[in-house]
Amino acid sequence: MQTKPPGRALQILLLCLLWASATQAQDLPPLTHKLTPIKTPSVAPELIFENMDEETVDLKDYRGKVVVVNFWATWCPPCRREMGSMERLYQATRDSKVEILAVNIGEDLDTVFSFLGTVEPSPTFPLLFDTDAVSMKKWKVKGLPTTYIVDTEGRLAYRAIGGREFDHPAIREAITALGR
Amino acid sequence: MLPVFYPAQAQQLQSVNDATGARSWSTTHAGVYFSLTQIRPEQGDAFYVNRGFSLEQIRPFTASCVYMTVLRNDSAAGVVHFVRDNWSISVEGEARAFKTVEQWVKQLAAAEASKSALIAFRWAQFPPEQEYEPGGDWNQGMLSLGLPAGQVFDITARWDLGGQNFEATLTGVECAN
Repeated sequence: MQTKPPGRALQILLLCLLWASATQAQDLPPLTHKLTPIKTPSVAPELIFENMDEETVDLKDYRGKVVVVNFWATWCPPCRREMGSMERLYQATRDSKVEILAVNIGEDLDTVFSFLGTVEPSPTFPLLFDTDAVSMKKWKVKGLPTTYIVDTEGRLAYRAIGGREFDHPAIREAITALGR
Repeated sequence: MLPVFYPAQAQQLQSVNDATGARSWSTTHAGVYFSLTQIRPEQGDAFYVNRGFSLEQIRPFTASCVYMTVLRNDSAAGVVHFVRDNWSISVEGEARAFKTVEQWVKQLAAAEASKSALIAFRWAQFPPEQEYEPGGDWNQGMLSLGLPAGQVFDITARWDLGGQNFEATLTGVECAN
């Protein structure tokens, strides 16, 4: 009996897995650890989306807290790589008035849920869904990931374009200082 | 502002990924790092089929000599600004045009790709325009050069900083087979 060759879908899946593991292991640009202060802080744009429990989350309700607003997608390599460091930051700063809102761009709940199991440590902060990518223009995001730090008055305080090591001491100190 | 003089572009480096065989080319100039890494058509197919494209829809893109592109402001003297349309490629000294992200999105939309697939496509591309603060702002994204498999070419990335123009060129770059 002749062995049937693997189907196209299986080949694609195997290639995807090979590519993902290979690109994680080699040739990846380093995550950096500097936040850029925004010289003339303005009020953060509107940010209202549903979370994983399909509850509406509004950035305005976080006044009095420092909020890390991160725009990301599961298919974006630096977004995936920085996600664990954001959870470590979240755990380390929970008593310091710091909140994280990670806004997924264009994907559905099932896709994001499957991804969460691959992140170590897995995120426990709110994940929001911008399925139509409408926030990109409002927040002047030109590439993923992009992250803004919103101060306790609801103003944009810092920006980071590209992946960061969010639990790096320099970033942690900059963020927690905003809450003091 | 007085012009600042920088050392010549650093030597071009090349490497090969042991697992995938993908080749990379990189250089640094005036504190800005620039690199290209091959994405083989099958790798691109795998990525985009998982984002909702059919093979027929995405093959024109994935077979068009696509690279994972990185530009990073490590230590430039200030904010780096680039417009990707100012970058250029040449084959044996002859300039070649390459499609914009917007043109690819229009072509894929005409092929009736789904909305979520188009969103993933748009945001997986290297940005058409961006500003990077020194100290590590960067992007990683796909760049299609519209060349056949195995084609050897040169590519020049251009950016400006405080009114001064800069460029970094990678030579002898090869499209994946």
